Amino acid sequence: MGQALSFGLTQYDVEELKDHSGGKLTQAEIEGLYKRFRTLDRGHKGYLSTGEFASIPELSINPLHQRLGQIFSEVNFKEFVEALVCCSKRATREDRLARIFSVFDVDGDGVISREDLELMVRQLAGSTFTDEQVQATVNAALKEGGSQAAGLTYEDMAGVLEGRDLDMTVEMPTDE
Amino acid sequence: MPSAAAQLKRLVSGPLSGLRHRELSSLELRELDYKVSEGQGQEQKVERTLEDLYVQSEESRLSQPAGSLMQDLLDVSPLLQDAGAAIVDDSFLRCFQSASTDPWNWNVYLFPLWLVGLLVRYLVLFPIRLAVLLGGFLIFFILFFSVHNLFKRHPRRAHWERGLVQIMCQVFVASWTGVIRYHGPRPVNRPNHVWVCNHTSMIDYIILCAYSPFAVIMQLHPGWVGFLQTKVLNCLGCLWFNRTEVKDRLIVAERMRAHVQAADTTPLLIFPEGTCVNNEYCVMFKRGAFDLGATVCPVAIKYNKIFVDAFWNSKRQSFTAHLIKLMTSWAVVCDVYFLEPQAQQPGETAMQFAERVQQLIAARAKLVIAPWDGYLKYYTLGAKHPDLIEKRRKLYADRIRRYIPGTLPQKPPVPRHPGAAASAEPEVRRRNTGP
Repeated sequence: MGQALSFGLTQYDVEELKDHSGGKLTQAEIEGLYKRFRTLDRGHKGYLSTGEFASIPELSINPLHQRLGQIFSEVNFKEFVEALVCCSKRATREDRLARIFSVFDVDGDGVISREDLELMVRQLAGSTFTDEQVQATVNAALKEGGSQAAGLTYEDMAGVLEGRDLDMTVEMPTDE
Repeated sequence: MPSAAAQLKRLVSGPLSGLRHRELSSLELRELDYKVSEGQGQEQKVERTLEDLYVQSEESRLSQPAGSLMQDLLDVSPLLQDAGAAIVDDSFLRCFQSASTDPWNWNVYLFPLWLVGLLVRYLVLFPIRLAVLLGGFLIFFILFFSVHNLFKRHPRRAHWERGLVQIMCQVFVASWTGVIRYHGPRPVNRPNHVWVCNHTSMIDYIILCAYSPFAVIMQLHPGWVGFLQTKVLNCLGCLWFNRTEVKDRLIVAERMRAHVQAADTTPLLIFPEGTCVNNEYCVMFKRGAFDLGATVCPVAIKYNKIFVDAFWNSKRQSFTAHLIKLMTSWAVVCDVYFLEPQAQQPGETAMQFAERVQQLIAARAKLVIAPWDGYLKYYTLGAKHPDLIEKRRKLYADRIRRYIPGTLPQKPPVPRHPGAAASAEPEVRRRNTGP
């Protein structure tokens, strides 16, 4: 009954996150996201466990759920907000490109290598794709898009996706 | 195939409003949900909802201009958008969210009053209530076990035990100053009748028992609750099971049938949601109670959240903690409605019957019906329906395949059963059985 004033999020934290996101999230959006984070974080531990993340039914049937599970692995609130900035309606094209790149760059070395691409194609295309088809796809992709032997760089990817609108805007919850 | 406009309308009015069109998921759409779902089985509804998801992701994919292999390979923005929408909000977890309390006490005038109230609640009311509860327990245990062990063959033994359990439940209700209004006729036992009720907390059962004893089907809990369940409530013919054990559920289904058909037993109460919901939403009713061929008497319980939220979030707090929360609040206020008994109508499947009863209860208790199976709290959807991810993956595969030499260019995949055909489809996969 009204004993609680704040749930641990101070104005200082909000300002920090607002700065950090480059003003792409508003005060109300950050507060809304914090409420959501608290809902997902069942034990109020301060981070999301893999199980809690997977328990969102609509997410667990997303073909990318494993990869997203890695990206959101044990995130605290700050990392949670960071990972969702690309879904803000104020996000720039660079934010979105960077998010797609980080999804494909599984080992995080700054290049989408053959292994990265293979892993992602398998995850995206599933069991109807044979091994030969995976190989053929990866070969074609590296031949077509890669400027370097190591694989696709961020610039390669940005060039390829020229002209795509890459819409990933999501209506952020606000704490009403 | 229905027109694109009709298709789109169906998509945005679907109950999965948390998915993409969050801005459209306002109140009138909830009403649309009711209309959309009218007269169809719950399971079909869930299937259809997920089917929608599939069609929706496909539509957004196909609406992209045809690109190159690289573009189609790398552009995963629709999937990321879906994921983002699910991460920031989803319609499932909303069913299990405790009410948030608005702070009202940080005010020069109200704060001292609130402080006095707090002290009274914790230092006066709570000790008195605890004493009442423990004293009640003590007397109850002495009487109960003497009756239980001394009058082993007495014909009235079961009757006395029932009476004692009822008194015990009244002590419980008194320990949180339950202000409970019962509406409708008091349930009396008749063969071939079963009572079903929406479920918010284990106190639902205590509240109903304080009025009239019921035998219940419930998850077996550990600790002192388990002790009460196995040692005391067994005399009412209560049935316990472990939710995650499939075998347990089959045995319970069998015993449930026997209990309902027997003539002189305690009325049987079932919580068909199978899990505690926050008393704002109502999740899918399991078909077990509606499969018995018995007359179903719906019971609706609506809690007033003015003093305390009675929702038991069992993942977050133990039942003891939940009881302490109730005992340190001013009062638990609720309304209990015993609704008119319903019989299965000719030509109605168990699932349709379940849905009809669910609508009656939801309307009375002012709950919003959510299409989810409450057991998803204990399983992940992806693990339960692996075919759903595969369906979406196949879309991507088909699109990429067109660019690879050596494989035939394929037509873009067509959704398995678009539009109204969904409801007419005879084969409904039965995944969720039992209570």
